[in-house]
Amino acid sequence: MTRTEENLPRLLILDDEAGILSSLRRALRREGYEILTFERVEDALREIELRPVDAILTDHKMPGMSGMQFLKSAAELRPNAARLLITGWPEAIPPSEIAELGIRALITKPWDDAKLKATLRAVLSEP
Amino acid sequence: MEPAGPAIHIIVAEPAQPAPVDLLGTVAALEGLGCEVRVAVVADAETVRADCRDAEVDLIVVDRRLGRDCESILETHGDSGPPVVVVDAEGSAEAALDAFRRGAADCVSGGAQYADVLPVVVMEQIRRWRAVQERGSAARLIRELERVHQNIIHNMNSALLVVDMEGRITACNPPAEQILSRPESELRGAHVWGWFKRTGDGQDLVAKTLRDDVRFKGAESLITRADGTLVPIGISCAPIFDAAGSKHGAVAIFQDLSEITQLRNQMLQNEKMASIGQLAAGVAHEINNPMGFIHANLFQMAEYLADLRRVWSDVEGLQKSIARGDAEEIRRTAEKLAAMAEDVDVPYLLTDLATAIRESQEGSERIRHIVQDLRDFSHHETGQRVVTDINQCLDSTANIVWPMMKHLVVLEKKYRDVPRISCFPMQLKQVFMNLLVNAFQAIEERLGESGGTGRIDLTSEAQDDGVVVSVGDTGVGIDPKHLDRIFDPFFTTKKVGIGTGLGLSTSFNIIRRHGGTITVESRVGEGTTFRVFLPISGDDDVDAN
Repeated sequence: MTRTEENLPRLLILDDEAGILSSLRRALRREGYEILTFERVEDALREIELRPVDAILTDHKMPGMSGMQFLKSAAELRPNAARLLITGWPEAIPPSEIAELGIRALITKPWDDAKLKATLRAVLSEP
Repeated sequence: MEPAGPAIHIIVAEPAQPAPVDLLGTVAALEGLGCEVRVAVVADAETVRADCRDAEVDLIVVDRRLGRDCESILETHGDSGPPVVVVDAEGSAEAALDAFRRGAADCVSGGAQYADVLPVVVMEQIRRWRAVQERGSAARLIRELERVHQNIIHNMNSALLVVDMEGRITACNPPAEQILSRPESELRGAHVWGWFKRTGDGQDLVAKTLRDDVRFKGAESLITRADGTLVPIGISCAPIFDAAGSKHGAVAIFQDLSEITQLRNQMLQNEKMASIGQLAAGVAHEINNPMGFIHANLFQMAEYLADLRRVWSDVEGLQKSIARGDAEEIRRTAEKLAAMAEDVDVPYLLTDLATAIRESQEGSERIRHIVQDLRDFSHHETGQRVVTDINQCLDSTANIVWPMMKHLVVLEKKYRDVPRISCFPMQLKQVFMNLLVNAFQAIEERLGESGGTGRIDLTSEAQDDGVVVSVGDTGVGIDPKHLDRIFDPFFTTKKVGIGTGLGLSTSFNIIRRHGGTITVESRVGEGTTFRVFLPISGDDDVDAN
């Protein structure tokens, strides 16, 4: 672990469920990311507005705004950030919308730690 | 002038010689009463028989001098048919006795009074005969009416029982035999107490009709068959009064509702399944979130355990070195342990392990609650009315639908103190669920992709011997042209696969069965409010007078 915090890839995670955020942070703690977690859409958007992020991982079904709507706003603010969706029902999301929003990966809840890590590594290693 | 009275047909049987029976006075007397008199004079028994076959004969007068033929006529007509009056010129007491013995209606002796007596005797016999015939025809009329009556009772599709004031069956028909699975011979005279128990409160409808003069129309009831099984029936029951207005029993007409009940249950089940499909997604989502992190935490904790094992194995290595007492080895293993502990980050790991356990416990507690809510919601339906707290019904339903809507809806609950009501709680929960899901879908449709949240107001309050439950939403509202069709079966404006078109019609039927009402107010673009009124007693279809 020689990299300073400034050099770490910044991963923003949004989920209205604190337990999920805590568990994702735990799973990814040795992956070498700067992990930012948010329970509220507004807070996540503010962070994205303030500083760039490398990847955004969001839940879909949330109060007030869906994950897809959030990613649309995020894409306008930071078009270069990789967009990932984590949801219990990935099949409920129309593939056309996934393509349209340029979503890089759909992760199913409950997730498999190893697969999640591999997916994030792959997404973040690509330009 | 035409005679006004009845036509009278008299046969006189007498020998050609000597002097004929003198009927002149008799005929004159009858004609004086307004009768049209026809007299046929014959000479033998055979002709009398033929005439009686061919025409209505009111009286046969026989001269005893016909001898053997006189006896033959008495043999044939003495016991049945028109009366036979024997005229005996000699007038011996023995002859008269003999004539009576052979069946004569009367015997008139010859002599001075003969002409005076005969008309009186003839008229008396005709009067009696006519009276007997009239009674006969009245009896025939009654028999005919009875036959028609029996035909109707036997051929009607509904089962019928007539009972007296003691509840004993005095009449029944084949459908009744069939439904009760007992032959008429067993039914007649049997007591019906306890046979007809109204669905829900178990009230004996026939007993109530006999006791309180209450009429029931189309009430739902269970009937107990001979083998103890229960059959659902629709029953109408009314007291019977005689001409003087005093009650002397009751009549019950009923139909076997097994098939209809089955169909209705099937329809309810279909509707329920459709609603459960919607619910399942919401509940599954609600369970999936805690499940998701408990699942991941368990994997993490397994990794933590592996890390701690590695540290522990270095601790053991150090212990062994200490036991051996080699200072250099002790220093080396201690350094290894320190490096391992730092790599594993034991303090963080111990703290985070405690956090992961706590969070997992909270998650599993949530799942337990969801399962408890499901259990409360689907509490075993007994098929009997239960005295129920409507607020509890509302709340367990709201808990179950909440997960599916919480991302779009603010749910405001206002439960007032309400009287407990006699009802089928599972059916009412189905109604509430249906109204809540509709409200949510109306909000979902209104919000579309725009984001934001809608609001559902769920309230209960006491009103006029009952409870009013209202479900108001801030959804799309209902087009006025659809308002009078929303309770029709299979009417829906929802997309295929979302609505069955049975939700509101099923709800309507459930509420009606509870003796309640369901009303709606809606404004397009503002929202919709459904109000359900449920009476405390929940009596259905009772027509008391």
